[in-house]
Amino acid sequence: MISIKDLHASIDDKPILKGVNLEIKGGEVHAIMGPNGSGKSTLSSVLAGREDYEVTEGSVTFHGKDLLDMEPDERAGEGLFLAFQYPVEIPGVSMVNFLRTSLNSVREYRGEKPLSAGEFLKLMNERKKIVELDSSLTRRSVNEGFSGGEKKRNEIFQMAMLEPTFSILDETDSGLDIDALRIVSQAVNSLRNPQRGFLIITHYQRLLDYIVPDFVHVMYEGRIIKSGSKDLALELEEKGYDWLKAEATV
Amino acid sequence: MASLANDNLKDNFIQGFLPKSRNGISSQLALPRKAAQLIKDLEIPGKKWEEWRYTRLNSLVSQVYVPGQTFEVTDISPFLIPNLEADVIVFLNGIYAPELSKVRYNAESLEISPISRLEDELLRTFETHSGSIIDTETNIFTALNALYIHNGVYIRAPKNVKGKAPVHLMHLSSGSKEVDTSVQHRNLFIAEPGSEFQVLESFHSIGNETTARNSLTEVLVKDNAKISYSKIQSENSASSQVDHTSAVLNRDSSFSIHTLTFGGKLLRNNLKIILDGENGSAELIGLYLLDGTQHVDNHTQVDHAKAHCYSNELYKGIMKDQSTGVFNGKIHVFQDAQKTNAFQSNRNILLSDTANIFTKPQLEIYADDVKCSHGATTGKLDQDAMFYLRARGLDEEKAKKLLIQAFAREVTDSIEIEEVKESLAEIIENRF
Repeated sequence: MISIKDLHASIDDKPILKGVNLEIKGGEVHAIMGPNGSGKSTLSSVLAGREDYEVTEGSVTFHGKDLLDMEPDERAGEGLFLAFQYPVEIPGVSMVNFLRTSLNSVREYRGEKPLSAGEFLKLMNERKKIVELDSSLTRRSVNEGFSGGEKKRNEIFQMAMLEPTFSILDETDSGLDIDALRIVSQAVNSLRNPQRGFLIITHYQRLLDYIVPDFVHVMYEGRIIKSGSKDLALELEEKGYDWLKAEATV
Repeated sequence: MASLANDNLKDNFIQGFLPKSRNGISSQLALPRKAAQLIKDLEIPGKKWEEWRYTRLNSLVSQVYVPGQTFEVTDISPFLIPNLEADVIVFLNGIYAPELSKVRYNAESLEISPISRLEDELLRTFETHSGSIIDTETNIFTALNALYIHNGVYIRAPKNVKGKAPVHLMHLSSGSKEVDTSVQHRNLFIAEPGSEFQVLESFHSIGNETTARNSLTEVLVKDNAKISYSKIQSENSASSQVDHTSAVLNRDSSFSIHTLTFGGKLLRNNLKIILDGENGSAELIGLYLLDGTQHVDNHTQVDHAKAHCYSNELYKGIMKDQSTGVFNGKIHVFQDAQKTNAFQSNRNILLSDTANIFTKPQLEIYADDVKCSHGATTGKLDQDAMFYLRARGLDEEKAKKLLIQAFAREVTDSIEIEEVKESLAEIIENRF
């Protein structure tokens, strides 16, 4: 589904990604772990199309197309979704208007007809339940005044609305209490199917107890230095990253 | 030589704003006579005038004008606010158009009359107040306007009477291909104690020809009365307007004014609020969405002359292309105006590197027990918000549009009349 080959990217001429290789197939859940500053969030930003980063080498193929050639909105249309680490507050834009514009933009891109107001509201109310999102939140401005946990649940709610084929969860677990973590994980699990892939970026093993990954990768200094099964996450939890850093620099 | 050139410029300019003859109301009133005398000693503001530093009038005053005549209009519906039940008074190049106007809702409640048709007691009330709020003696535009005192409208709410519906003053202008057209008119609004009414004034062009509008509005809000007044400036990109609006607020009264600018070439809005009785409350809200080479200058002044008054000023602007915005806001708190609450804010977004904003918030405080704040910000559209929206599938145009609407929402939300609010949302959505 998505194939990342030798990806190099820099910001303000400072190289951050230094040759990332990763292949994710439909139905798979991959987790990327690693110390701060290793390039995990940069990878998610580059995949989503943030302009601040310059791709200097490598390629990303998504459903057979050149992902790096696309605008961020085209990537969303193609089925890529980024659950933001820090969801942005947008005062003055109501959640409902935002979601409807978003969903209909994506539908338009996919050649589907836009949802009517009634159809949209029905879908919204149905999907809201998945993340147990308080009804009043959709009447507010996008993320404005939401708690940390509400913002993260709102991201997963949007994911449930847009039904992407490939989702990146960028530290969705940070700032979540144990109940919110369970709700978010259940929502993600309910969206898992053989056509959908997930890339989960996290610092903690905790989330992976709920969303069990097929593969775990360790990122360090802009590269994936080790890949393994879900057991690798447990090993990291126990031993930290230092043993891998030592291996990587050898 | 320079002064000679300036004199020629002035003579040429005012020639195009003088009425051909003085008749009807004008001949009965003292103000036009006085103004005609004063004009020869008044100057056109030039580059040395501090209050005109960022707004040059050369392009406006160097043209040849002819006073606008009435013209044929068959359908005013494109300029009505959809679904709004209002009394509509139409002016064509400043001249009252009886066949297009209709007072239905407020016929029993408010005194509404074109100035040209005032008689008896109403005329005497008009004469007492007209020229008492805005100074005619030191300003060439207000002096010129006095010569056209017969153009415009008089609205008065008697004691304890509330308007039944908003009054929509609709100004349509139309120029000619041969020569530019001057348009002048004025309003007088009086709310007697305990009364209340709402006015909406909109400006539109028919065709693409150049018009220059010199308008003036005087407002008197007496004890415990309330007036809300919204202006929508939507003329074509060849037309200019210099406006003077001033309101005096007595004890326990409130006044709100919205100045919403979308169209026009060169606009200068001079707004002055005088809080002249304790416990008065004023709201000054502005929005300007500019593109091309538009130049819009909002000059505001709030005088807190008495204690315990409140004023809140919010002006927001978005400048695109090579457009220029100017905001100059002064809050003046007099020595006796203790317990004043005065707030002012000017926020701007520049959509291009060639757009400009000159902003100058000023506070002058002579009382010691007051709460005042002011501030100005200028920036681009929030890039993080842009990326967030685009990552959710909105293309650049849609994302921009949504953020522009969001920026303007604070202004539109403060408008009382629901239909006007909705109509503005649509104007804003289609603006850029």
